[in-house]
Amino acid sequence: MFKQISTRLLQHLIAQNSWANELLQPFAGKSVQLNIALVNTSLVILENGSLAIAGDTNVPDATITIAPSLLLRLIAKDEAAKLQIKIEGDTHLATELAKVFSNMRWDYEDDLSKIVGDVPAYKLGELGRQAVNTVKETGINLTEMLSEYWQEEKPMIAKKRHVEQFNAEVDILRADVERLEKRLNKLAKTNAVVADFNQ
Amino acid sequence: MTTEQNTHFGYKTVAEAEKAKKVAEVFHSVASKYDLMNDVMSAGLHRSWKRFAVGISGVGAGDKVLDIAGGSGDLSKLFAKEVGSTGQVILTDINASMLGVGRDRMLDAGLNVPALQCDAEKLPFPDQYFDCVIVAFGLRNMTHKDRALAEMQRVLKVGGRLLVLEFSKVRQPLTKVYDAYSFKLLPLMGKLLAKDAESYQYLAESIRMHPDQETLKQMMIDAGLSKVDYYNLAAGVVALHKGYKT
Repeated sequence: MFKQISTRLLQHLIAQNSWANELLQPFAGKSVQLNIALVNTSLVILENGSLAIAGDTNVPDATITIAPSLLLRLIAKDEAAKLQIKIEGDTHLATELAKVFSNMRWDYEDDLSKIVGDVPAYKLGELGRQAVNTVKETGINLTEMLSEYWQEEKPMIAKKRHVEQFNAEVDILRADVERLEKRLNKLAKTNAVVADFNQ
Repeated sequence: MTTEQNTHFGYKTVAEAEKAKKVAEVFHSVASKYDLMNDVMSAGLHRSWKRFAVGISGVGAGDKVLDIAGGSGDLSKLFAKEVGSTGQVILTDINASMLGVGRDRMLDAGLNVPALQCDAEKLPFPDQYFDCVIVAFGLRNMTHKDRALAEMQRVLKVGGRLLVLEFSKVRQPLTKVYDAYSFKLLPLMGKLLAKDAESYQYLAESIRMHPDQETLKQMMIDAGLSKVDYYNLAAGVVALHKGYKT
């Protein structure tokens, strides 16, 4: 039942993002294993450029692995995190599929309009967007407030400026140690030459 | 054990030449109530399995589809929507009574789907003609499944796919419940609704005699199909196999 429902949802999303069909069609018949956080599933690309959950005995052509910590960074739109996605097998296929998923959008207003009509769907969509924005802004405000408190009032978190200064000092110290090491080595060599000469 | 001249008809062993006749009798008998019985027997699930098969087929506009043992035309109707006016769906069945029901339904729905009575073991189509061939709940009634699969492979284009939707082997903890349902409840429902307990007894027996998921997969590979994969539906009560002609 899971496969039937998931396949239906996937195909519905692909139908809403028809640009994805052309992108996926050249890979028809190929499949990708997704290991995302705790979810492990295989997707197969169909001949019409749509997607389905793969069957029980499928052998994937590519594997995409995203660790839970990486998933959080990807959700937070951390561009550097994309480079850490682990891809094995047919990398071209996996990259194209990842591209489809990152650009795919769910047109929930369109789906809603079929149930409640166009105008209420638009209004509900607006409300939804406002609610998401409010939650987002509140989250940012709360984070900023807490970080300010822990940096200024009750220092628990280091300020960026202090971290950078500390890093610079560590760099200077490392360079100094290297120089000292070289001097010591040079001195040791000189001592060895003097000792040989005296003998 | 069957010999070259004998084969299974449910749990009975009959002469090969006789099986097709006996299967025909069963389907002549159930044709008018076939869909009602399917709905009752599967609690309407057979419609969702068929929709899933269409979803997995990857059939798109302009494709040519062959529906084998299509009977009342459920699948042909769904495929006709997918292929659009530029594609083609052909509904076939060996049984005239079943095909008659399907043909009338296609006409009533205003669909241009030709209905053709033919034997799946001797398909009257050229090599490499179809993008997709499907047989739903029909393969188990065929006398020579290997010949039928080879014929389906023959009429497929390179890159085309064969889908087999068929009853299969149910997962272990459910076997007893499923057996009780099949051999006690199913003939009773057949008696009450279709006034034909014997035919439904045959349906239950034929399901048990049909190859399990892995055996059918191997049979499809032997018929020349590749990348064969299957989906267990309703805990293995039904399996959908998909293979490619390469």
